[in-house]
Amino acid sequence: MFTFDPYSPAVDADPFPFYKTLRDEHPCFWSQQAGMWILSRYADIVSAGQNWQTYSSAKGNLMTELPNRAGATLGTTDPPRHDRLRGLIQHAFMKRNLESLSEPIRDIARTAAEALRGSDRFDFIDDFSSKFTVRVLFAALGLPLGDEQTVRDKAVLMVQSDAHTRAKGPEHIAAYNWMQDYAAKVIAERRTRPQNDLISHFSMAEIDGDRLNEREVLLTTTTLIMAGIESLGGFMSMLALNLADRAEARQAVVNSPELLPDAIEESLRFNTSAQRFRRCLQKDITLHGQTMREGDFVCLAYGSGNRDERQFPNPDVYDIKRRPRGHLGFGGGVHACLGTAIARLAVRIAFDEFHKIVPNYRRTQEHLAWMPSSTFRSPMLLELTVH
Amino acid sequence: MVHIIYVEPSGNRRRVDVTEEWSLMQGATANDVDGIVGECGGSCACGTCHCYIEESRFGELPPPSAAEIDMLDGVAAELRPNSRLSCQIKATAALEGLVVTLPETQG
Repeated sequence: MFTFDPYSPAVDADPFPFYKTLRDEHPCFWSQQAGMWILSRYADIVSAGQNWQTYSSAKGNLMTELPNRAGATLGTTDPPRHDRLRGLIQHAFMKRNLESLSEPIRDIARTAAEALRGSDRFDFIDDFSSKFTVRVLFAALGLPLGDEQTVRDKAVLMVQSDAHTRAKGPEHIAAYNWMQDYAAKVIAERRTRPQNDLISHFSMAEIDGDRLNEREVLLTTTTLIMAGIESLGGFMSMLALNLADRAEARQAVVNSPELLPDAIEESLRFNTSAQRFRRCLQKDITLHGQTMREGDFVCLAYGSGNRDERQFPNPDVYDIKRRPRGHLGFGGGVHACLGTAIARLAVRIAFDEFHKIVPNYRRTQEHLAWMPSSTFRSPMLLELTVH
Repeated sequence: MVHIIYVEPSGNRRRVDVTEEWSLMQGATANDVDGIVGECGGSCACGTCHCYIEESRFGELPPPSAAEIDMLDGVAAELRPNSRLSCQIKATAALEGLVVTLPETQG
């Protein structure tokens, strides 16, 4: 009998064969292990994402939700509250407002890449992407330097889940609590000495004359730090993996860096790190002959929708010429990723600089150690050799 | 399904069946219509799904939100009285046969 367990190491390692069975044979599947329905076809995921009235985020959006987060962040509220909250933050992340970050990001990328000069073997994650992402986030949010490595370690830990208990373990909760304390310190500091930066504005913002409540300020800031480090870093390691495994695609983007955006879009489609998010049903709904009940949780398997042959021809082929449109690499609809523009900008610059120092590389390990997470998918270590 | 007629920048008319409740942007990108980018994924944050709505039916649409009006201010192509962001318009039966023209550029 077919099962789909998003906590299983086999799914962490390679969810795609499971997704194919889900799409073809069980497009609306009750996963006993996850305790939720799984939607796996592109069209169903897009429809659910559009219908926030039925598929609510207010009970949490992570597959294994962190305590107290539901209802207090962008990803865990519904309109109209969500839209107002987003309105306070969004302008800082719009493409037109990111120009000033372009040069600082390039400097960070150059420094991180330069440190690799001369090495013939390194861990892409530890030695490059994590150094890069944490510094970019610190620059974007105006965070004080000094705690970068700890912040990065905690961000990576808090998104994980325990394969045995199918829940957050004590170490994940401890990391989450650490991050909240860290965010609280930054917020307090900005309120005492406001600067012209996102956290200063946000921590003193009002919606319709009401100040945001403390839980919203704290958990939204915590989530921004988590997403900025873990999601950006996770995606960078997937792009590096795709290019390490495909000499032709790598050669193309090394020779013509203007093709990097095409490789980024195809990687967002092909195996983006944000694989699955969840919603909670606000009413009974019948889909593909299954009746899902009000109060049931539903997983939107973006990573599966991106491999749906009903939408993308030859979906299992990685092709940088594909230029996939409407992919779900950043989700979609009202909850589409806030950081699309800064992520695209930062990743493009990072690989542009990385390739200047390391144009030819392949991975050393056939089998990778994958992060245990029901929501995200990326390797824990990606050792590359230079050739 | 709702039939929407997209006029691509080349002048080519594309008649597309859009799933009800999908946005006109999603209907276009999922069917490879030219002239729409939708860079932000539909969250009204980029202005790259700018379109011109058939003038005689413009009034049938729910009015734009303050956020959409703000984003329309920064679109790359000429802003006209019938400009909208297609990610903010849901395909409903009332819009059957609507003609949506895509601009020369989305920036």
